[in-house]
Amino acid sequence: MKKQVPLLREFTKGLWEINPTFKQILGMCPTLAVTVSAINGIAMALATTFVLVFSSLMISLVRKLIPNQVRIASYIVIIATFVTIVDLVMKAQFVELSKALGPFIPLIVVNCIILGRAEAFASKNGPLRSVLDALGNGAGFFISLFVLGSIREIIGSRTILGYQVLPNGFEPWLIMILPAGAFLALGLLMGFANLYIERKKNLVRESLIAQYKRVGREEITDEVLKEAGV
Amino acid sequence: MKQISLIVATLTIIGIIAGGSLSLVNNWAAPKIALNLKAETERAIFLVHPDGKRYEEIKNAGLEVYKVFNEKDSSVGYSLVYDGNGFQGNIKLMIGLTNDLNRTTSIEILEQSETPGLGTKILEAPYKDQFNGLEVNPSIILVKGAEPSNPNEVQSITGATISSKAVVAIVNEGITKLKDIENKGASE
Amino acid sequence: MELLIIFISAALVNNFVLSYFLGICPFIGVSNKTSSAISMGMATTFVMALTAVVSWLLFNLILVPFKLEFLQIPSFILVIAALVQFVEMVIKKVSQPLYRALGIFLPLITTNCAILGLALLASMRGYDFLESVVFGVGAGAGFTLALVIMAGIREELDLADVPKPFQGAPITLIVAGILALAFMGFAGMI
Repeated sequence: MKKQVPLLREFTKGLWEINPTFKQILGMCPTLAVTVSAINGIAMALATTFVLVFSSLMISLVRKLIPNQVRIASYIVIIATFVTIVDLVMKAQFVELSKALGPFIPLIVVNCIILGRAEAFASKNGPLRSVLDALGNGAGFFISLFVLGSIREIIGSRTILGYQVLPNGFEPWLIMILPAGAFLALGLLMGFANLYIERKKNLVRESLIAQYKRVGREEITDEVLKEAGV
Repeated sequence: MKQISLIVATLTIIGIIAGGSLSLVNNWAAPKIALNLKAETERAIFLVHPDGKRYEEIKNAGLEVYKVFNEKDSSVGYSLVYDGNGFQGNIKLMIGLTNDLNRTTSIEILEQSETPGLGTKILEAPYKDQFNGLEVNPSIILVKGAEPSNPNEVQSITGATISSKAVVAIVNEGITKLKDIENKGASE
Repeated sequence: MELLIIFISAALVNNFVLSYFLGICPFIGVSNKTSSAISMGMATTFVMALTAVVSWLLFNLILVPFKLEFLQIPSFILVIAALVQFVEMVIKKVSQPLYRALGIFLPLITTNCAILGLALLASMRGYDFLESVVFGVGAGAGFTLALVIMAGIREELDLADVPKPFQGAPITLIVAGILALAFMGFAGMI
C-alpha cells in the first residue's frame, strides 16, 4: 500500500515541483507560440486547463471500464471531444481571442501535458485526486505562460495586458515578439530558474550540514538530504 | 474473442457519446460562428465605404466582391476582397472602389502575418491612408524615399519595402480582375 | 509556381519548428545526434506526406459532404494515430533495417503536434489535393532541416563549457532562438 499523499499536495505539486513547462518540459509548442502577449498566454492556459480538468475527471471515472489495449485511443477521443467544445465556444463567443490563438486551440489535443496527466495520474487515481492534480498542473502551466507572456509583452511592446508600463523613450525590442524571441526568452528564463534553485538547494544543504555538526553527528547521508527535500 | 468484442464495444460507445455531445454543442455554436463571420465581413465592407448602408454580393464573379449602396439606395461603389503573398505569408485586403473603378476609397487589411514592428506598419494610418481617394489609372505606383508627386503614387514604408510593394500589387491585381469582369458583364 | 511557393514557404520561410512552433518536443528531445535526427526527420516527413493525403480525402470527401466539419479534430487525430500504427506494421514487414532505423521514432510521431498542425492548416487554408501534398512534403523537409542543423550544433555544444543551470533544455532553446533568427533571412523569398 503506497503512502497516501495529502489532498492539497496533489494540487500544489503542479505549481512548481512538477511544473509542466519548467520541470516536465511538456507542452512547449503552445508555450512558445502564443505568449506574444500576457492576455494570449492567459487565454491559452485557461483553455488548456479546462480541457485538462474535464478530461482527467472523465478518464478517472471510466478508467476501470476501458480495456487496457484501447486505453490511449479512448483517452485521445475524450480529449479531442473537450478540445472541440472549447474551440467551438471560443469561435462563437470570443472571436478576437480565437483568431489570435489560431490553430493552437485545436492543437491542445496533442499537448503532451494532457495525455501525460491522463496516463500518469488520472488512469490510476480517483476522480477527486485527478481533478486536483489537473487543476494544479493547469495552474502551473498558467504561471509559466503568464510570466513568459508578460516578459515578452513588456519588453517587446512596452505594455502589459494592454496598459503601457514602459515610457515612450524605451525602444521596444522587436525580437521579443518574433519567434526567435520566444525561444530566447524561455531558454533564459529556464536557465535562471535553474540557477536560483541550485543556489537555494546549496544553502539548505549547508545549513543542514552545519546543524548536524553542532549536535556532533559527522555523517550526513544522501537519504537524510533527500528527506529534507534537497 | 470476448476481449475483441469488449474493445469494439468500448470504442463504439465512446465514439457515440463523443459524437453526440459534439453535435449538440455544434448546433448551438454553428449559427453564432456564421453570424460572427458575417458581421466581420459586413464591418469591413462599410469601413471602406463609410456612407454605405446596404450591400449586395455580386454573384458568379469568381471574386468576392460587393456592390455598396447609400441611404438613398444609389450605388456608392464596390468593396472587393482580394489576397496575395506578402513578406512572410498571405495578405488579405478589403478594397473600397468608386463606381467608375478609377479611384480607391480606402483599404482595410483583413489578414496578414508580416514582421511585427516593420511589415505591420501597413496596418497604420501613414501608409494605409494613402489609399484614401487614390487614383488607380493606369496603375498604382510605389515610390521609395521621395514624397508622392502624382495622384496614383504611394510612398513605401522605410524598412518594409516588400510589404508595401505587396499591398500595392494586390490592389492593382484585384482592380484589373474586377475591371475584366465588369467589361465582360457590360458587353454581354 | 504556386506549388513551389507553398513548398518554400512551408520548408524555409514559415518553417514549422522555428516560426510556427510545431513539433518542439521531438525538436528538443531527439536532436542529440545527427544520425537519429535524420531518421526522425525522414519518418516524420513520410508520415506528414501520408497525413496530407489522408486528411484531405477525409475532410473533403466525408466531413464536408455530410456537414460534419465539427468532428474534424477527433477524426484527424484518430486517422493520424491509425496511420502511424499502419506505417509501423508495414515497415516492420517490408524492411527490417528500415524498421530498426525508424521504428522507435514512429510511436513518438502520433503526439507530434506538427502532424496534426499540418492537417489543420491545410484544411484551414483550403488547399486542393496537390497543394496539400506539396505542403506536407515541404513541412516535413523543413522539420528535417531544422532538426538536423540543431543536432549538428548540439554535437559541438557537448564539447563547450555551458554553465550547469543552462545545460539541457535552456541552452537548446537559446540555440533554437538564434537559429530562428537565421531563418528569418529567408523571409521575402515568396
